[in-house]
Amino acid sequence: MRYSVVFRPALLGLLLAGSAALPSCVSVAAYQKAYLNDEDMKLATKKVETPEVNFESYREGAGGANGGKVGGGCGCN
Amino acid sequence: MRKLILLALICTAPLAAFAQATPTPNRLDGSGISPVNASQLPTPARYGETEVDILGSYYQQNGDHSAVEGGIGSQHLTDTAPTILLNVPLDSTTRLSANVGIDYYASASSDKIDQVMSSPSASDVRYHADFGLSHLLADKLTTLGAGAGVSKEYDYLSFNLVGSWARTSLDGNRQLSVSGQAFFDQIKLVTPAELRVGGTRNHNYGSDTRQSFTLSLVYAQVLSKRLQASVSVEPVVQRGLLSTPFQRVYFKDRPDANGQLGTLGTALAEVLPRLRYKYPASLRLTYYATDLVQLRGFYRFYNDNFGIRAHTFELEVPVKVSPFFTLYPFYRYHTQTAADYFAPYLAHVSTEEYFTSDYDLSAFSANKVGLGFRYAPLYGLGRFKAPFGGRITKFKSLDLRYGYYRQSTGLTANVVSADLSFTMP
Repeated sequence: MRYSVVFRPALLGLLLAGSAALPSCVSVAAYQKAYLNDEDMKLATKKVETPEVNFESYREGAGGANGGKVGGGCGCN
Repeated sequence: MRKLILLALICTAPLAAFAQATPTPNRLDGSGISPVNASQLPTPARYGETEVDILGSYYQQNGDHSAVEGGIGSQHLTDTAPTILLNVPLDSTTRLSANVGIDYYASASSDKIDQVMSSPSASDVRYHADFGLSHLLADKLTTLGAGAGVSKEYDYLSFNLVGSWARTSLDGNRQLSVSGQAFFDQIKLVTPAELRVGGTRNHNYGSDTRQSFTLSLVYAQVLSKRLQASVSVEPVVQRGLLSTPFQRVYFKDRPDANGQLGTLGTALAEVLPRLRYKYPASLRLTYYATDLVQLRGFYRFYNDNFGIRAHTFELEVPVKVSPFFTLYPFYRYHTQTAADYFAPYLAHVSTEEYFTSDYDLSAFSANKVGLGFRYAPLYGLGRFKAPFGGRITKFKSLDLRYGYYRQSTGLTANVVSADLSFTMP
């Protein structure tokens, strides 16, 4: 398995951010969700990103768990 | 003095672009969560509002490891894909969604399927249509969904069915969604011209089938006023024809009559197992760092019974240049090991049970960088009467992005995509 110079630190950072946030998990009231309701805070792939997610699922042997397609036709070779 | 004030205003005008963004108003359901594959809970603001998205994308790739030619040759391909997404309220709790589009693609490698005449698939069109219904139950916390779809191209016909269930906690801070999807595919066995029984011009192809079954589990959690995360697992089982019948494999121990390797007629069509299990799991985080900058992170681990193990990391940093204009650079890194059955051109031995020279299944790392922007003015970019029915339509927002993708195999790709979003009250 080959890793780039940026991959390991980035993954470590993401995991650290997640684990650091878990203990501070609090119940947030509806009126406190102004930030969470921001368009860029959605926990999903953006619609405009769909074509990229699709071509990545074709060009890479790995796919799934990201809202992309996992079966059906291709539209590519 | 007046000139001085005017000069000061002109000089400071650009700073207005960096004014703090106004967060969107609180949604009454307060979930703030829209996990992958889960139906978004309808909000009062969305009741009665039909949403229409016109998506368009242009994808172009180049490389020199064509699977059709056994791992060598041009991978040049272009794909233009217009799509229309519809989300129509039938009443205050039920919505109808539709996703209809085409892929018009031209592929240099497909032209090599048939060495005798121009291939029917050198350029081709794929049509796809998916329809779904989602219904919010009386408890206002549970959403049920069902849908079906079809996809067709020259050698492929696919039907799919999907069902989903999502439940949000009372305080809107957690959501669990479960969805299952099944694909039923019919594949025309278009083999390379020199391998066709009955001669190169025989187009009486046989057919085979493939079924794919997916279970998707997504758990989303609000962690703080600025941070939320979701964990997703999506096991997939595929059975039937998993190889592509027109992809050639050249062997190091199959010379022609003159002892030459890699000549036309010495290849076989790739063969892969007829059963595949995939185990992807992902973590998604979004963090509202400041009113100017947000962070969107994604990590996925992937494993399957073909021997591929992969890691994918993505980071997007939306920057609110103004309350209505967002600029978002993004970066993605992907690395994977090769499938057990992959070997490059002239590296396979003909005694192997399974073999492929498809570089999609090879070991590589890939980087993608890009930039996008979204412009969504408070009152929209414009209003006009819809051509059908004459309803007043608001051009709500424009989202445009460009990505550059590069694999360590040498494959490069450029993709431009746009989302024009409209609403009809």
